[in-house]
Amino acid sequence: MRFTKLAVFGMGAVIAFGACSGAASPGASGGGGIAVKIGIELPMTGGEAPNGVPTANGVQLAVQDIQVPGFTVTISQQDDAVNGKHDATQGAKNMSTLVNDSQVLFVVGPYNSSVAQAEIPVSNAAGLMQCSPANTAVQLTKPWGSAKPTDLRKTNPDKIAYVRVATTDDNQGSGMADIAYNTIGAKSVYVLDDTQTYGKGLADAFTNTFTKFGGTLLKRDGVSDKTTDFTSYVTTAKGLNPAVVAYGGVTTSGLGLFRKQMAAQGLQTIPFVGGDGIVDGSFATASSFLQIAGDGDTNSYGTVAAIHDIPDAAAFATKYKAKFNTDPGSYSAPGYACTQIFLQALKAVGSGVTDLGQLREKIRAYVADSGNKYDTVLGSFNFDKDGDTSQHVISYYKFDPTKKDWAYFKQRDFTADPVK
Amino acid sequence: MAIDFGRWRGPIVVAGFLLAAYALMVVSAGAQAQDQFINALTIGAVYALIALGYTMVYGIIELINFAHGEIFMCGSFVSWWLLTTLGFTGAIGDPLVLGGVLVLTFITAMVVMGIVGVVIERVAYRPLRNAPRLAPLITAIGMSFILQNIVFVTISNSIVTIPQILPNTALTFGPIAIRQINLFVIVLALGLMVALQVFVRRTTLGRAMRSTAMDREAAQLMGVDINSTIALTFFIGSALAGAAGVVQGLYFGVTHFQIGFQAGLKAFTAAVLGGIGNTTGAAIGGFVIGFIEVLASSFGYGRWSEAAVFGTLILVLIFRPTGILGQQLADRA
Repeated sequence: MRFTKLAVFGMGAVIAFGACSGAASPGASGGGGIAVKIGIELPMTGGEAPNGVPTANGVQLAVQDIQVPGFTVTISQQDDAVNGKHDATQGAKNMSTLVNDSQVLFVVGPYNSSVAQAEIPVSNAAGLMQCSPANTAVQLTKPWGSAKPTDLRKTNPDKIAYVRVATTDDNQGSGMADIAYNTIGAKSVYVLDDTQTYGKGLADAFTNTFTKFGGTLLKRDGVSDKTTDFTSYVTTAKGLNPAVVAYGGVTTSGLGLFRKQMAAQGLQTIPFVGGDGIVDGSFATASSFLQIAGDGDTNSYGTVAAIHDIPDAAAFATKYKAKFNTDPGSYSAPGYACTQIFLQALKAVGSGVTDLGQLREKIRAYVADSGNKYDTVLGSFNFDKDGDTSQHVISYYKFDPTKKDWAYFKQRDFTADPVK
Repeated sequence: MAIDFGRWRGPIVVAGFLLAAYALMVVSAGAQAQDQFINALTIGAVYALIALGYTMVYGIIELINFAHGEIFMCGSFVSWWLLTTLGFTGAIGDPLVLGGVLVLTFITAMVVMGIVGVVIERVAYRPLRNAPRLAPLITAIGMSFILQNIVFVTISNSIVTIPQILPNTALTFGPIAIRQINLFVIVLALGLMVALQVFVRRTTLGRAMRSTAMDREAAQLMGVDINSTIALTFFIGSALAGAAGVVQGLYFGVTHFQIGFQAGLKAFTAAVLGGIGNTTGAAIGGFVIGFIEVLASSFGYGRWSEAAVFGTLILVLIFRPTGILGQQLADRA
């Protein structure tokens, strides 16, 4: 009986702190024309700020850079972080807010795959196109294990209202395995995940490819994302003595803490590989993986599910720095690219249409059409019939102890160079 | 808070449990059994320290003090504030300075959280002492959110790093190798528990607490100041949670405004498992939960750790509805 009370208590927590954010903030597009909005649905606060803020900045920059004659584009900014951590329920709520604002024609977001799972049914029912700059969980667009994307599109199974410019975790997991097996030269691994949609999927994909390469899986386990005590898992690692530890998850699930506790038990020499959930800023970034991992972070590797060598990287970085006075984040350019897709669609189908509902559907249909190609800051690509990008590039990062930051060292295009 | 089980039954059961746990660790972790055993003792000690406050408060006013987990969380933030204000960033090499800073940190956190506990009791529970039982439960939940809210608005809503001032050295005693921090946490927790037992059993104030727990009206008639006795109970329970908060910082080096919920839930479970209202039971419950968690992970079923903890709770409660040490519950409960 006590636990019923506690469960209610927990739900109360979500409801009590759920009601935040949601005001429209002006974009920079000048001139007259029909007022329309692009929604940004990202985690913006707390431990998630290093994820959401640079990505949202990418959207702002694109809205400022690119004008569409006949339209004034402003931004409706939403935040799916509740108490500083991304929250699927809040994401779905934000998506409803955006759906109910008839001026919103397109949404950039979300950042986290678990949030996308809650949002896709909402955007699909309303026919509002959303473009995620960072989601990598495979089952959002393609069948993966027992999960089917059509389970998320119950209202309109055949209408795509979700695309993403990041590639999927089967590729990202392969990238991690590539680092572990080929860069580090590890033949044995201890694999953990944070039991969440993204973390588990990534760890599964890693394990598949690592064993395909010929590596040995010593042990596989999952750790609750709410604990701070990883000592027993670290002790297990000590006993297994793997050549590498791979962990699917994000910093807010405690991956930095795990790495720190590895160092405390003297295991900092064992390399650590994670996905884009840990490439979230330098040692100086508050609450980032590197800051929390502290002395244990040497020998850490991470991936980003986006192309690093973008066609005009220097120009983009300069433009970004001029506006925000800081370097772009891993998903700033993807945020920019999602916005370019929207603006290209608006340009293509918008002229003469004054009914916003009709316009929203025309944009959805345009972006869902796999025949349309986009020339973006990430390079040119199109979406397949499921909404996945044709660009399958994973960027590899290693911790650089002198700069105390992630250093990019390689990218691999899994279309041109697939895992054999 | 009475402890009345056969003189030798308790130690035998505890020794049997520890042996069984160690045997399971040898099976699951092999050469790492000793390390896993120490991990379990350490996290168990933290749960036990928090569980003591739950059980003491329940013993004396039959209230589940839901704000207690947040006291633990606030304690960790007090240690963070003190250590960063003093300018420490890592391990302190000089044993004298280290000792001084440790004493200062523990006393500060324990006194501050003790006072916070007393204030919460005065503000949120005392006015409702004769109200229906649901009312103070709700104010307790309310206090819990207020404390979380204060911390996340004024300090941080993400993971905060606490300087780990204890050097990370391993000590060896014959065949046993243990890191300094683990030994420190275990000894500290056991020391505080023994001190609590001595206080409750041997001092006049302790006798006042025991008599208030048994029969409030009768105690009052015998000249016990009920209000200050209850306040004292809150002070001690909250101080222990404050000490656990400091341990959180020393051991893990991080805190977060929401750690109180999870830790509080585990500690509350420990208190129920041990027999709520019984201090020895709460301590035992804390260690039992520590061992279950570590065993789950050691066997490679970390995913199932919560199910294992609460499954054990259900099993114990089915066969011993009053918990391991089975205290007679007051009929109001």
